Amino acid sequence: MTEVVLRAEALAKTFHLGFLRKRVEAVKEASFDVHRGEIFGYLGPNGSGKTTTLKMLMGLVFPTRGHAEVLGRPVPNREAKRRLGYLPESPYFYDYLTSEEFLDLVGSLFGVPRRERRERARTLITRVGLDHAHGRPLRKFSKGMLQRIGIAQALMGDPELVVLDEPMTGLDPIGRKEIRDLMLELKREGRTVVYSTHILPDVEMTCDRVAMIFSGRVRNVGPLSELLTARLLATEICLRHNVGTIPALPAGANLRKAPDGMMVDLPEGADVDAFMKAALAAGSSVISITPRHESLEDLFVREAAQDKGAA
Amino acid sequence: MNRINAIAWNTFREAVRNKILYSLLFFAVLIILSALAIGNLTLHEEVRTIRDVGLFGIDLFGVIIAVFVGVNLLYKELDLKTVYTILPKPLWRWEFVLGKWLGMLLTLAVQMVVMGVVLGIVLAFEGAHFDVPMAKAVWLLFINIMVVTSIAVFFSAFSSPFLSGFFALGCFVVGRSVPDIRALGEKVSPGAKTVLNLFCNLVPNLHLFYPSGAIVGAEEVSIHRQFVGADYMISATSYGVAYSVVVLVLAMLVFRKRDFV
Repeated sequence: MTEVVLRAEALAKTFHLGFLRKRVEAVKEASFDVHRGEIFGYLGPNGSGKTTTLKMLMGLVFPTRGHAEVLGRPVPNREAKRRLGYLPESPYFYDYLTSEEFLDLVGSLFGVPRRERRERARTLITRVGLDHAHGRPLRKFSKGMLQRIGIAQALMGDPELVVLDEPMTGLDPIGRKEIRDLMLELKREGRTVVYSTHILPDVEMTCDRVAMIFSGRVRNVGPLSELLTARLLATEICLRHNVGTIPALPAGANLRKAPDGMMVDLPEGADVDAFMKAALAAGSSVISITPRHESLEDLFVREAAQDKGAA
Repeated sequence: MNRINAIAWNTFREAVRNKILYSLLFFAVLIILSALAIGNLTLHEEVRTIRDVGLFGIDLFGVIIAVFVGVNLLYKELDLKTVYTILPKPLWRWEFVLGKWLGMLLTLAVQMVVMGVVLGIVLAFEGAHFDVPMAKAVWLLFINIMVVTSIAVFFSAFSSPFLSGFFALGCFVVGRSVPDIRALGEKVSPGAKTVLNLFCNLVPNLHLFYPSGAIVGAEEVSIHRQFVGADYMISATSYGVAYSVVVLVLAMLVFRKRDFV
């Protein structure tokens, strides 16, 4: 049985905002487990309760109901925090410090001896690609650089569990790829990574398991392979053709232009063999046939629509 | 303890790199230097004037800096969200508050030393020296700003800087007027007197830290003649430390229960 390193049991948080104490249910029910050694994606649209859930797990916000455990201990626990690294959403750090000074401060909070702190800070600065910013105060860092130093500080305590809140926000495609690679590297090192995001392609490329939260309620917890249905949604056929060589389309099919020719989308249940025969007989040549199964985006959009309908 | 040291040292470093504090310190030094000019306008009272104006400058700017930094101490961490990065580290919330407070005290102590040194130079210019009564007076002013700082930190644990500043300065003004409020109590009804006495016991008696000119033990004490003795220094310091600790513990309790949204 895989060890659970992070557990949320029916977590809920209600805020009372403003002078009139307006009631806002940020998280209605969040239950999920994160297993040791995996990359776990916490997905949800903006304002769905992702950050509030992570803040409850980090001890920054007290849950109204429910129970949270990190590394086998109820939140908040200093021993658990010692083995945990956290990057908040849109991080803001002490901007009068240089990256070395900031990592030194973080290292001292973890009780890392001075010499080791310096060594570790140097290694991490290189690892996140900030060697060129040596001696520069954080106020002069770009958003991407701040995100990198944020990840470096999350790793300063040599954590078993790394929790990253929206780590891809504000990064360009190269920066995103570097963060994805870093997460996979952390997994290879035996660490557990939890991150929240709404950038679905990143999740498909990195996550072993996911949980989705919509309007404060967690749904669909599990491996991506189990959550996505195996059924065929459509078949995409790319044809090279001469004018007038496209055969009659079956009901529900679409025809659109593609860079190499024409793309035909045949719906679920359409007779692909019959259409192929007709196309070949009409003088078209087939460039590609792609079966399209349900993607994470399909699932996400379907769940979001259901949530909207339920609301 | 290392964690508290780390927070304290970082708070000190932040203050040292804050240009606004330098401006305040500059004005404080300017007031102390102006004592030289004011002293020269008097007849044979140069040293007396320099001592009075110098101590007034240290007192005034010490309190302004204490309130200015104190009210922002925790609020800034919340407003800029730096607290989100620091609190998930292996650190208790009370350690964070204590570290911030100690860092601020260190900042204020350094500023008091700078102001004291400038005053000493100004006195030397007039052929006088920074004697033991002056050192005692500056020490009491330091305890005074320690209490004010603790009050400012307490309010900043749950309120905006404007309100915290307003309350902290209010406490300072009322705290300095405790003997006057007690005297007022003698002139009102017994019920009102009880309320006023209760109020005076609740607010810090900051008059203790500016005793020059007051009657202590049936004798008038003065920075220019006979200043307070060691027993007064010990009891006033103990009172200031105890009051600060109580207020700081209250700030920690408030901070402990806060949601960082």
